[in-house]
Amino acid sequence: MSDSNTETARPIHDSTARAAKARTRKRVLLWSSWIGITLLLLVSMEVLNAVAGKLVMPSPVDVVREGVGMTLDGTIPRALGQSLTVLVLGYLLAAVTGIGIGIFLGGLPFAGRVFDPFVNAMNSTPGAAFIPLIIVWFGLYTEAKIVVVWNAALFPILINTAAGIASANRDLTEMAQSFGAGRWSLFWQVMVPDALPSILSGLRIGAAISTVGTVIAELTMAQSGLGGLLVAAGNRFQMDKYFAVVFVLMALGTAITASLRYAERRLGRWRVSMSEDH
Amino acid sequence: MTAPLISLRNVGKWFKDGRVVALEDITLDIAPREFVSLVGPSGCGKTTLLRLMNGLLQPDTGTVLVRGEAPTPNSDLAMVFQSARLLPWRSVLGNIEFVLALRGLSRTARRERSLGLLGAVGLRDFAEAFPHELSGGMQQRVGLARALAVEPDVLLMDEPFAALDAMTRETLRAELLKLWARRGTAIVFVTHDIDEAIFLSQRIVLLRPRPGAIETTLTVDLPEPRWETDPRADPRFAALRADLWNRIHAMSRDGAELEELAYAFDPGTTKGI
Ligand SMILES: Nc1ncnc2c1ncn2[C@@H]1O[C@H](COP(=O)(O)OP(=O)(O)OP(=O)(O)O)[C@@H](O)[C@H]1O
Ligand SMILES: [Mg+2]
Repeated sequence: MSDSNTETARPIHDSTARAAKARTRKRVLLWSSWIGITLLLLVSMEVLNAVAGKLVMPSPVDVVREGVGMTLDGTIPRALGQSLTVLVLGYLLAAVTGIGIGIFLGGLPFAGRVFDPFVNAMNSTPGAAFIPLIIVWFGLYTEAKIVVVWNAALFPILINTAAGIASANRDLTEMAQSFGAGRWSLFWQVMVPDALPSILSGLRIGAAISTVGTVIAELTMAQSGLGGLLVAAGNRFQMDKYFAVVFVLMALGTAITASLRYAERRLGRWRVSMSEDH
Repeated sequence: MTAPLISLRNVGKWFKDGRVVALEDITLDIAPREFVSLVGPSGCGKTTLLRLMNGLLQPDTGTVLVRGEAPTPNSDLAMVFQSARLLPWRSVLGNIEFVLALRGLSRTARRERSLGLLGAVGLRDFAEAFPHELSGGMQQRVGLARALAVEPDVLLMDEPFAALDAMTRETLRAELLKLWARRGTAIVFVTHDIDEAIFLSQRIVLLRPRPGAIETTLTVDLPEPRWETDPRADPRFAALRADLWNRIHAMSRDGAELEELAYAFDPGTTKGI
């Protein structure tokens, strides 16, 4: 009934209806492109499989069958659980310490300058370089893997937090000072909230790196989790199993990024650039 | 004669170890309830003067006294800036409550007073809105309400209407005059706009640049209240305007600099300095 109203209503309604229709059309186009590209990739897999054999490329049908089988017999859920334990604990540890140290370094400019070269040196070193050291110090098992993830995710979070606070909006800090804000309220009520967008993008980068760190740790240390399954399947040339695990990792990474984007949008809803109409 | 509210004696201020002399030998008194405008070309130290008055800066020479004491940002002065400088993550109400919390008001007192002030500037319906949902003029009203919320004896306003369109500016000027008449706060008002200065103030302090110093002080003798009839029709308005113009032209014999001055004072130019 409201539909018929908008169809016959005055021009202003007409134009909003037209805009809505254009939006719907765009969304349909977007989804059909996504589905089309996915189908194309699956067909290419199938063709490559037919031409070059299943050692080079498994058939998508086999991948799905293996994926379902490994899910039902508990292999994938167990591996996913192990990976998530490493990833979540390592990431949380990195988030807490990164934000904590970042706030400290950003809020005390002198401390920030003292530690800047060291933070940069650590940040520029590839995370993998520390793995042998971490193995010597922490062993090969879950604790050590958590340390690998923590080490990889710490610096982007720390650096973004510190930079966000150090570059707090001078106009706002002067405003707060002119109304008598002391150091404490200036810091916690103006500078830290002002740095929130920067902190959140640090957290998002850190999350992406955590996923990488988890798989690398599982590949190079005691094999476990999804990374362990990758090695096991790869070593036995079971490419269908291998691809099933790759797809699970893809889904995991996408889910993590999407949920952080969602959190970012929720927490940053006061920002103009993130208003509803996106 | 009443004791001055703000009193500056031979105030000097420099930056970069004295290489930039921002202000030199400024002596100026502001009486309670007085409306004083500071005009002068860009860089002559108007903002610096306001910062000295509310204690954000300390003078290098001379003394700044507010009610006989050195000012701190906690004294009863409040600033209004050219851009509203609202905290974008807080609602309109939250922004006003923020400064009241700094002054140690209880939660209920904060809420009550904030809502009252939003009513005074006609924004009660926007209490829950976020700053980016407001127009520039509405944001500036919030900035004014926030400053009034701390119940200051002096409002220090740094080109508060410069970034607004002519229509909004006109409305806000009249509103400011009404608030001033009702509340009896003194106002120190920085502007580039000669007409605005004459329209609003009782006294105009003309500053000259490099180094910033007082060129002259003029009394604006126009009938009150000024929001009822347009004082621009008054011949005294035109006379004051001409006087100020002549002084500004006389301030420099150097042609290039004169052009710069004229540009700075042209009310038609929308400036974002
Ligand atoms: N923090 C600072 N460091 C160095 N120089 C400064 C500082 N603040 C002001 N100055 C200098 O002092 C002089 C006066 O500056 P001020 O901002 O008070 O001018 P203004 O009259 O407010 O100018 P405008 O009309 O453009 O706002 C300028 O020459 C400026 O460069
Ligand atoms: Mg200024």
